[in-house]
Amino acid sequence: MAKNWWKILSVLLLLYVIIGGFMVPVPVIGNNQQAARSIFFHLPMWMAMYTLLTISVVNSVWYLATNDLRRDVRASSAASVGVLFGVMGFLTGMLWATYTWGGTIVNDPKQMTTAIALAIYMAYLVLRMSFTDIDKRARVSAIYNVFAFALLIPLTYIIPRTVDSLHPGSASSPGFSDKDTAGTIKMVLWPAFLGFTLLGIWIYTLRNRYKRLALKNIIHG
Amino acid sequence: MPVKSPISQIYALVRKDLLLEWRQRHALFGILLYVFSTVFVINLMVREPEERMWNAMFWVVQLFVCVNAVAKSFLQESRGRLLYFYSLVHPRYFIAAKLIYNVLLMMLFSSVTLVCCILFLGNPLLKPWYFLGVVLLGGVSLSLLFTMLAAIAAQASQNAALMAIMGFPLIMPILILLNNISQSAFSPVVQPGLGGMFIMLAGMDVLIIALALILFPFLWKE
Amino acid sequence: MVNRISVSFFALMLLFVSTALGQDTASAVQQAAGQQNTETGAVNEFFRSNSKIYVAMGILVIIFSCITIYLVRLDRKITKLEKEK
Repeated sequence: MAKNWWKILSVLLLLYVIIGGFMVPVPVIGNNQQAARSIFFHLPMWMAMYTLLTISVVNSVWYLATNDLRRDVRASSAASVGVLFGVMGFLTGMLWATYTWGGTIVNDPKQMTTAIALAIYMAYLVLRMSFTDIDKRARVSAIYNVFAFALLIPLTYIIPRTVDSLHPGSASSPGFSDKDTAGTIKMVLWPAFLGFTLLGIWIYTLRNRYKRLALKNIIHG
Repeated sequence: MPVKSPISQIYALVRKDLLLEWRQRHALFGILLYVFSTVFVINLMVREPEERMWNAMFWVVQLFVCVNAVAKSFLQESRGRLLYFYSLVHPRYFIAAKLIYNVLLMMLFSSVTLVCCILFLGNPLLKPWYFLGVVLLGGVSLSLLFTMLAAIAAQASQNAALMAIMGFPLIMPILILLNNISQSAFSPVVQPGLGGMFIMLAGMDVLIIALALILFPFLWKE
Repeated sequence: MVNRISVSFFALMLLFVSTALGQDTASAVQQAAGQQNTETGAVNEFFRSNSKIYVAMGILVIIFSCITIYLVRLDRKITKLEKEK
């Protein structure tokens, strides 16, 4: 039980976020009305995705340094769960956009670049499937993973900031943080970041344990 | 034989690649023919496209030319020959030589593509020299990334389809940037934020070179 | 099966990006403004009722179902592994 405190913390935080997310007063932002509450569930997806992809790339580099296959298993599990969170972020964004921007896919630069980023990581997962030799797979995919991460940051952090976006907070649209005078959004958003990230890590450990069991003979043999 | 300096080693490797290319001219002319026929097909389909279309077509042609030209730089080397190089030079010099060679090759093909496009698709360019500069720069960026991807694909049982799967999403940010930068060549006014985009492109190039030099030795470990 | 799913999703992503690249943001904003309240239909009305609160609900449903699908797939894989032993 002592080792699992963070799982309990995650569940409690998420309960708080789901209840609090629908209870706290939210300011009027654009034509969002009550849909502004989606921010408590949409934004943490990206936070969790970045955390998991960072875990993945750190383990990939670690693998290259040590040639320990367990590192590779960690990297692949983290990337897989990271893609799951990316897809969830993308789908939730699509739903939200439908009722505030008037279109499911509206050529918003952030929406576009995250789609590319997800495609990059899907390519990573496809690349992994194309090998039969486990050591080679680990080595090559670790190298690709470093490339993917190196391009993920300019792609999703820098390029969207140079062009105008429909997302709140960019040049021509009001941001959430400016309107949040009472601080009610922050009160729920930060726990949401932590809660969803911990949930992501939890799923990642589950997948990691499964993969390690599947490769048990090879890793310990 | 005395140990040569890195520069002369890289120079020797690049020279060897260029010589080899010249001796097996069929590959070189194959790519040139590829450029020619692609542009000609576009000409047959859309005659003279408008500016945006012209720009987009040009970069798409560039992308496919690059994939074809660079892919063979690793695919043409047999396994035995790669092992032979491995015993001769440090992998870092090897990838450096490949990068330089592919950049040179791609600069040539970029210029040819540009000439072909102007010949067949009309010339909407207002600043041709600026566009030529961007094209050369774009050729460099594309070839750098695809060289490394070709090296990865060569490990994955020489799977050429894999290179497209890995490469196209990775190349997209660079293509978008290039497309935006080159858009300036079609209008007399300079668009805002141009300097920033150039810096970003240069930053990406430096990043790719650095990663290639650091990671390639790991890739070559057998 | 997994392979096919990810490959098809990948193709979908590429398709989306390629169509999206065709237009720029300015026209997207106009498009968004133009389409704003012209849509009709029961689903659309439902999501816009009660100050669009159901959008947030829909987002929670998406997250829950995605995580569930992922866990079910993981569950199946583990079951298969147990049977092999």
